[in-house]
Amino acid sequence: MVYYELKVVSNVAMKLILCLLALLFVHKASAQERFRETHAAMGTIFTLDVYANDESAATQLAEDAFDVIDRVDDELSNYKPASELSRISRDAGSAAVTTDPETFAFLKRSVYWSRESHGAFDITVGPLLRAWGFFFHSGRVPTQTELLALRKDLGWQNIVLDDASRIVRFRNGKPMDLDPGSIGKGFAVDLAVERLRADGATAALLSAGGSTVYAIGAPPGEDGWPVLVPDPFHPGEVASRVLLKDTSLSTGACTEKFFIRDGHRYCHIFDPQRMRPVEGMLQTTVIDPSATDSDALSTVAFVLSPDQSRGFFSRLPKTRLVLFAQSSSGPRCLAVHWLDSPCGGTLPASRKQETTHGVNH
Amino acid sequence: MDRRDFLQKLSASAATIGALSVLSADGQQARPVDVETERQTAMTQEKTPMRLGIIGPGSRGKELVRSFLRVPGVRIAAAADVYPVRFAQLDQVCGYDVARHADYRALLDRKDLDAVIVSTPLGLHAEHVLASLSAGRHVYGEKAEAYTVDQCKQIVAAVAEHKRIFQIGHQYRYSPWIRAAIARVQRGEIGDVTLIQGYWHRNNDWRRPVPDPSLERLINWRLYNQWSRGLFAELGSHHIDLANWVFDAAPEAALGSGSIVRYHDGRETDDNAQAILTYPGGRHFAFTSTTDNAKMGDQIWFYGSKGSLNLTLEDATFFYEPKKIERPAPNGKGTVTSASYNPRNEMPYRGAGTAVTVTPEDPTTAATRAFIYCVRHNVTPIADVHVGYRSALGVIQACESRKTHTQVTIPA
Repeated sequence: MVYYELKVVSNVAMKLILCLLALLFVHKASAQERFRETHAAMGTIFTLDVYANDESAATQLAEDAFDVIDRVDDELSNYKPASELSRISRDAGSAAVTTDPETFAFLKRSVYWSRESHGAFDITVGPLLRAWGFFFHSGRVPTQTELLALRKDLGWQNIVLDDASRIVRFRNGKPMDLDPGSIGKGFAVDLAVERLRADGATAALLSAGGSTVYAIGAPPGEDGWPVLVPDPFHPGEVASRVLLKDTSLSTGACTEKFFIRDGHRYCHIFDPQRMRPVEGMLQTTVIDPSATDSDALSTVAFVLSPDQSRGFFSRLPKTRLVLFAQSSSGPRCLAVHWLDSPCGGTLPASRKQETTHGVNH
Repeated sequence: MDRRDFLQKLSASAATIGALSVLSADGQQARPVDVETERQTAMTQEKTPMRLGIIGPGSRGKELVRSFLRVPGVRIAAAADVYPVRFAQLDQVCGYDVARHADYRALLDRKDLDAVIVSTPLGLHAEHVLASLSAGRHVYGEKAEAYTVDQCKQIVAAVAEHKRIFQIGHQYRYSPWIRAAIARVQRGEIGDVTLIQGYWHRNNDWRRPVPDPSLERLINWRLYNQWSRGLFAELGSHHIDLANWVFDAAPEAALGSGSIVRYHDGRETDDNAQAILTYPGGRHFAFTSTTDNAKMGDQIWFYGSKGSLNLTLEDATFFYEPKKIERPAPNGKGTVTSASYNPRNEMPYRGAGTAVTVTPEDPTTAATRAFIYCVRHNVTPIADVHVGYRSALGVIQACESRKTHTQVTIPA
């Protein structure tokens, strides 16, 4: 009996203590303020929104995260001739190049998505970007002869990776121009997120110029970080509002990098097979736990046709996709594994059934 | 001519290197030191296993490891640190588990290490470097060489006594664009250099996040005098080394100043520091570092009678003084009349300047590859123990001057 009462008292006390601890935790979390810091790197502006106890703590978190991003920029930039990726581009055609585990992991993931997408994603497209004038944003239309001459300088199949010794070689025996543009920012975001978590950040949103974002936890009292996916068919309107929590989202679009010649708009995202800028795709958005993967996959979806994307993304259960395309047959929206109906308000009723196809709630 | 062409010439001319028949990166006759640097930094396919230990795999230590792992045959076999968190971080950089030692002496007791990286706080450099040399290990030691002049002398003596290789972490000695630019300066391209001005300005508090207040001095050691000589050592030592290189001398006197003007957070080392080092012949190097404005960034200017050189972490650019008197050949066309005012006379440095064009490479990647070359072939590094000694002299005596508020003479 005594034991029972003690046990009851003990249970009550324990519950009270737990309640107090929970209150303290909520108080501590809600006492945190939201801070924002921006940083120029990788040809864009990174923005970190983070909840922290004070400005000093937020500043240290931001500095740590941006240090990581700067380091990855120094490592992978094809605009920096002293970067490790530039060294590999320059030398792996003539000799085996041993590289560090991080750079090797980057190349391995790049080649993985090239293989999986049958070349829709390809980091060897650097010569194409130069030929079409996207390197340093000059913009030009190369001749067919020029493009055909570039064929031998392209192709992810030329990248040979030796896991055991971290050696990189180019099968074609020539320098290549590896372009990290469609995966590098995501890779940097993943590493910065890892650092933020190690530093104790529990609620943060890291954005690489808006094209790749990663949400750590959620703002106090919220279910996630709200991210708006624009509706390219109706400028100014939103196709989908998603709450991100411990996952990433990447968007591919040609609204920022393009040039116009003779009334034609040329996009900076390339179809490596055709050696031409992608036509007809307006916007692709991918949600995936890895920012590296969502970055690469938003390009894959941009290059593939919507029908090809439906098949490809249906096989990736943890990955969500919404794309908007404009072809000769009219506007098209496709959602795969998406959580709401992003295509609902943007298309004629006859096409609406496509919006829920493949959704796996 | 790019670096690859240069190396091909180097290879083709291997038999005549001693006779200085090799061209340098800018087409001039190369000096022995340039040839040797090219040899040490050349891409290699040698895969002889090299097992390294690291004492102090902190932020800089991990960056060194990342670079060392770009050299064929290198494996990080063991690490020592008093902060256990570092071990998992190191494993992540390496991609495999590295043997862990809480005491660096246990690491040095191992029989399977070819060389040791010392990247601990400055106040511990001498202890760790001397112990490593005594244990028969070659050493890649981070700058500055040591905390006191006496410790530096002990390291110089130990390298000679134990006949081990010691390379100091002045990686800019291995930067292709800096080497090419300084070779041109030393051949007289900008005349006699009498003044060097170095800026290393940042806008942050130089702090690292501390998970527990008890770890403050361990993690933020750069802010405390027991372990650190502050901005003069952590940033200025690289510039001092470049000044020593261009002046081909060690400083003779130091005048230092500094204060904590921005971050009154318990730190002991200055957040705003200046030093003037005097070199033979009355030449000067002036260094300035601040931590609340990054406008000037990290750059160093070399001023000569015929022009100037600007070096940064990414490039090298020459500017030339307006020409003085000439002996023009008659052109038979007469003089063209024009407006009389030429603003360039007042601001000769407006404009882009002339960039040094070489194939660049990350200086630390090149420096670590050079160290492995030296160990494999038993040759003296370009940035050897004496290079480290001379730059440490400038650091230590600038700090001494700042402390005593007087100019300090540096013994030869």
